[in-house]
Amino acid sequence: MSDKVTTSEGQACLQGLMRVWFDFERQLSRVPILQRLERDRFTDEDYRRLLCHLRQQVIEGARWITRGASSFERDFADVRSMVIEHAREEHRDYEMLEADYVAAGGERQTIVHAERNAGSEALHAFMMHRASQPNPVDLIGAMWIIEGLGHKMADDWARRIDAALGGDGGATRFMRYHGANDDAHLDKLYAMLDRVCRGEAERRAILRTARVVARLYALQLEEIDHEPT
Amino acid sequence: MSVYITSTGHHLPGEPVDNARIEEVLGRVHGRPSRLKRRILQSNGIQTRHYAIDAEHRTTVSNGEMAALAGRDCLDQGYLPDARLDMLSVATSQGDLVLPGFGSMVQAELGLPSLELHTSHGICSSSMMALKAAWTAIRAGEHGNALVVASELASRLFKASRFEAAGATPDFNAEFLRWMLSDGAGALLLEDRPRGLSFRIDWIRGVSHADAFPVCMSVGRPNGQGRHPSWQDYPTYAEAEADGALLIRQDVRLLDHLVKLGVDGLLRLIDEGRVKVDEVDHLLCHYSSHHFRGQIYDMLTQAGAAIPEEKWYTNLYTRGNTGCASLFIMLDEFRRTRELAEGETLLCFVPESGRFNNVYMHLTLVREATS
Repeated sequence: MSDKVTTSEGQACLQGLMRVWFDFERQLSRVPILQRLERDRFTDEDYRRLLCHLRQQVIEGARWITRGASSFERDFADVRSMVIEHAREEHRDYEMLEADYVAAGGERQTIVHAERNAGSEALHAFMMHRASQPNPVDLIGAMWIIEGLGHKMADDWARRIDAALGGDGGATRFMRYHGANDDAHLDKLYAMLDRVCRGEAERRAILRTARVVARLYALQLEEIDHEPT
Repeated sequence: MSVYITSTGHHLPGEPVDNARIEEVLGRVHGRPSRLKRRILQSNGIQTRHYAIDAEHRTTVSNGEMAALAGRDCLDQGYLPDARLDMLSVATSQGDLVLPGFGSMVQAELGLPSLELHTSHGICSSSMMALKAAWTAIRAGEHGNALVVASELASRLFKASRFEAAGATPDFNAEFLRWMLSDGAGALLLEDRPRGLSFRIDWIRGVSHADAFPVCMSVGRPNGQGRHPSWQDYPTYAEAEADGALLIRQDVRLLDHLVKLGVDGLLRLIDEGRVKVDEVDHLLCHYSSHHFRGQIYDMLTQAGAAIPEEKWYTNLYTRGNTGCASLFIMLDEFRRTRELAEGETLLCFVPESGRFNNVYMHLTLVREATS
């Protein structure tokens, strides 16, 4: 496994990213809607709200990834290619999420017209800001959190949600799809870490962005219970 | 001021019990052999362990007596007469009595006169908390030495009759630990000076995550949505037992967190500069099951912070998982059976799944200066 990241800078950065991830998992454990999931108090209504709010990040995500791609200058052409490829793969994922929402008993119009909550607003604004900087290598920190979450959704959340709602997987396709694919995405992230983390400045920027994204993502999920329905 | 482990001791009751004989000792629930036993034993890798109960479920040696035997073994190898002991710090998950504190019983059993007493309550990490209390007392100059003892008598929880009293066949979470935990005690003597070749305690650091995770391992809590939150809330103890509230349970779904939090803590210590992976000569990790060893190793490898497998030391497979006593029993056997040299370093690690408390300790082998 260690052969995925080979440079000492890359490894130092990876250690930092793992710590940010573990902390993020603890933040998630304190989010009310996820506590209900953990404690077998999760309802259909909860799931529909979760999807409604997740959609904001998913549909905006493709925008910041493509914006980020365009911010990589000529010396980072290879990175730009990888980012474009990633954006291409994911830019219509929100359609699957909407289908799950409908399968879970929601009206498509409701999710399509739902607004961003305070956490989604902050996350989106921060990501667009970072993606607009020249050569935004720190976006890899954001991808670490978001791809990692995809993995967690499939392994853990989808199973628990189906168990809680008595579903057969027909309404958790988005989450399961991410679990199935995000491993490959994470492998690409490891390779990219070696490529872009060449010194302390990059490492600090990557870790900072990962921390901010983790916090704002958790806020986005906390806001599910604060927003009026 | 530096503090040194100048002696160690242990007590493992009775003859080793191999996998074929476990059920003879603990008994068959409703007379039927366990379906889960083989699977769990394969996963945890334990070959032999010790029990302080016999096949008739009589207790052969109490928890307090076991603790005292380990303490005596430790003192017998040290240089300190009983009367000069300043402090006794003791840990267990369940004493023989609900009250008073286990330390009082162990002091009496050992016949140690007028010293300061500390009892640490918890599961696997309680021994490390007891050790830290003693270590800090010596560092603060309050005391010149302390005896630290950790002891577990888990087998009483696993008698077939207990499961039968709780009604139906035990669920996986209730049966899981039956094939994992066993009995034993370990002891360490701490002094403010080395004796011969001693372990200097460089630091002890605990990180608890109880705020972020639910209870993972418990006794006293009914399964699922019981009528009462705690065994003490039932009108009678009989009703609590019938409801399964007195079985020891492990929520196995949550165990993945244990590995991640353990690795997280180690990365934190690396970040602080306390641990330099390349400079660790020996890793003594109280993993409760062979299954977790691989997971911890893989995750550390992924993080580029792996400690090579040849540096890992454990006696889990032959001495069993004795809960909070495990690390002390491990350190004692390590000291007695290894050729050790001055300057070698040990990283000790005790993860606890109760509600996720991990404790780490760093030791350096130091030789007493000869005049």
